[in-house]
Amino acid sequence: MATLDNKSFLVCCANGAGSSLMMKMTMQKVLTKLGIKPGKIHHCALSEGKSCASSYDVVFCARNFASMFKAAEEKGTKVLGLKNIMSVTEMEQALRDAGLVD
Amino acid sequence: MSSVLQTIVEKKHYRFEDSVPSWQEAVRLSAQSLVDDGSVEPDYYRQIVSCIEKYGPYVVFEHYVAMPHSQENASGVHKTGIGFMCVKEPVSFGTDEDGEEKVAKLFFTIAACNPDEHLNNIQQLMDIFCNEALLDALMEAQTPEDILTAESEHPSDGEC
Repeated sequence: MATLDNKSFLVCCANGAGSSLMMKMTMQKVLTKLGIKPGKIHHCALSEGKSCASSYDVVFCARNFASMFKAAEEKGTKVLGLKNIMSVTEMEQALRDAGLVD
Repeated sequence: MSSVLQTIVEKKHYRFEDSVPSWQEAVRLSAQSLVDDGSVEPDYYRQIVSCIEKYGPYVVFEHYVAMPHSQENASGVHKTGIGFMCVKEPVSFGTDEDGEEKVAKLFFTIAACNPDEHLNNIQQLMDIFCNEALLDALMEAQTPEDILTAESEHPSDGEC
């Protein structure tokens, strides 16, 4: 379960001010629940996120934005799109489905 | 310290409508209470509308909740605040990428220029958005007193 310790996380939404902040809070709940001690966590707007995503291990975004991170995905970043950005259950499941937690 | 709903009532940042003709008009009306006391400029809502037009209805969440917002430090924002609006008839924002219709009755329109206040607002809104009993009660609200009653009858526990 310690595989995500010290990994870097990026959360992205259109503006970087509303939904990405919420997603960051959801993520903090999930990481705490799973006992993961993350490295860097950053939230930002899509415009910034697209250019820096590949330097992160995991990117969370709303599902409709996931396709914008193709380039980062090809470089090995895990890009996880969420339908309900406030759902702890969905985010936890997304990490499991991606094989990032047991 | 006041809760976001108490602040909405104290600052008269609320509005109640039976129906609105379009989501664009809904965004404009939901920001009107913030315009009225000089928190935002009258055209602030246009930034929100163009962002939704560009990126889709991502500001509409589950359970009839919408959180129209622009960027932190968006132009035309003078005070951090939340404009609340309750519309009886659901407002459609069109469909998302799954073809699912996105509809809202509760609007929490955000203006942000003070990062700490804004963060606190977002944290509290998340608790509200996860509290379905409270959202149901807010959808029935017709007066500011109804907002306060809804909150006292359905306190949020912060669990999603």
